[in-house]
Amino acid sequence: MATNSSDAIDTSSLAQSLSRRLRLALIGQRVALVAVVIGIWWLSSLSVPHYILPGPRRVWDALHLIAGNGDLWNNLGITLWRVAVGFVVAALVGLPFGIVLGANKRAGEFFEPVIPVLNTVSSAIWAIFAIIWFGISNATTIFVVFMTAMPLIITNVWQGTRTVNADFIELAQALRMPHWKVMTKIYLPTILPYFFSGARLAFGFGWRVSLVAETIGSSSGVGYRLRQAADLIRTDQVFAWTLTLVIMMATIEMGMMRPLENYLFRWKKDAATQ
Amino acid sequence: MNHIELREQTCNDAEQTPPVIRLCGVAKTFTNSNQTIEVLKNVNLTVAPQAIVGLIGASGSGKSTLLNIISGILKPDRGQVCICGAASEEFNDWGSVGYMFQDDRLLPWRSAIRNVEFALEAGSITKKDRARRALQALQLVELEGFEEAFPYQLSGGMRSRVALARSLVTEPRILLMDEPFSRLDAQTRALMHEELLRVYQLKRMTVVFVTHDVAEAVLLADQVAVMSPRPGTIREVVDIALARPRDMTQPEVASYMQRLRALI
Repeated sequence: MATNSSDAIDTSSLAQSLSRRLRLALIGQRVALVAVVIGIWWLSSLSVPHYILPGPRRVWDALHLIAGNGDLWNNLGITLWRVAVGFVVAALVGLPFGIVLGANKRAGEFFEPVIPVLNTVSSAIWAIFAIIWFGISNATTIFVVFMTAMPLIITNVWQGTRTVNADFIELAQALRMPHWKVMTKIYLPTILPYFFSGARLAFGFGWRVSLVAETIGSSSGVGYRLRQAADLIRTDQVFAWTLTLVIMMATIEMGMMRPLENYLFRWKKDAATQ
Repeated sequence: MNHIELREQTCNDAEQTPPVIRLCGVAKTFTNSNQTIEVLKNVNLTVAPQAIVGLIGASGSGKSTLLNIISGILKPDRGQVCICGAASEEFNDWGSVGYMFQDDRLLPWRSAIRNVEFALEAGSITKKDRARRALQALQLVELEGFEEAFPYQLSGGMRSRVALARSLVTEPRILLMDEPFSRLDAQTRALMHEELLRVYQLKRMTVVFVTHDVAEAVLLADQVAVMSPRPGTIREVVDIALARPRDMTQPEVASYMQRLRALI
């Protein structure tokens, strides 16, 4: 059981230097990839007019412009806020609803057809309804994000309730645990990974869908600016806004989602690293 | 005693040292859709304080059902169950009855110590006390240093020990075990036998365990109750009059095993 401590230190530092080298190699790969993409982009842009395919330099200048005058941050903030609100409401509604549908068989059977129907209605249709009901406002975008995110979260949480291990329930019963404690201590942790998948999907879709909503249903935000730039044939700005979005999503994924996932699910045996 | 209805008998009979567990005329039938299965019929069993009792019998003889009736999870259809001198329906100190399942049933999202704490979370013990007692329980099963490990990081034997710690953290007077070591390999099982006996020396709780392994019963138990096939009843209770620790090389162990096998 007790290992020789000096052996433990040696293998640990070896593992550390190996992982550092692997990480550097990975960063090198990523940098090379970005360089290749920019290279191909630049070459392609040389033979085409700039309003069709602006080159990296033009896009960089456009990006610089909108970042400098605050345009980028304001609109990004607005879009981000709308997506966050729509997402949070979807989670607050979807999580309990999904649990109820999963825990109560009759409710589950009764409401079952609703979810696939909701999923079929595309976000563009929700956007049109939203404009009719809410006009040109924040509520429009928030509504579209909500209607897209909620079915995803409900479905995933519902699926999660089905995977609750009856053995653990039996354990809790043997320990004479009250029902509400069984819910919080066994149901919720079992559902959490499913909720997280649903939330991640919902957030990703929420972003895409918010742009659709903003292009037709608001007067601010990244989607609005995208359409504006396209209308003015400022393709370099279209690219600049697109790039903004991509970088934002990558940052959230790497900076927030990934570490959160690693922390929340550090108890899982990672099949990939075995 | 076998053929008399014992409805009138109470658990509070004037006895010198009341048995820790007493079953009188216990019967249990399971019904599902169109089948009625009589699992237990007229089971009578007495377990003395601090005794280690093994329950063996063929598959389907209702051993696990009997254990669940003792633990209060299942109610018998007939007969009486007395725990620590009180009728099972009136007994309310179920924290003093520990239960160990066939598999370790460790919650994978909790560390070892949090898994042990789980047994204390049904009640209203403070967080600090839970942590302290859980740590003591892990120390008891010699898993100090592995408190923060997750189940996937532990070997089968270690997980078994965490499960044992969890069943002991409530300081039970009675420990019920349903084939707790059957999923382990032979060597780990032998180690767990030692572990159980070591803890037993320290804590002196009453132990009732179900097993398929006749050798395990002979190596551990003071008495071995042999159950008949379905409908299950206690065929005979054999006293094992050997000092512990016992080992397989002892001729008496072999003869007890032979005797028990003949009874199953």
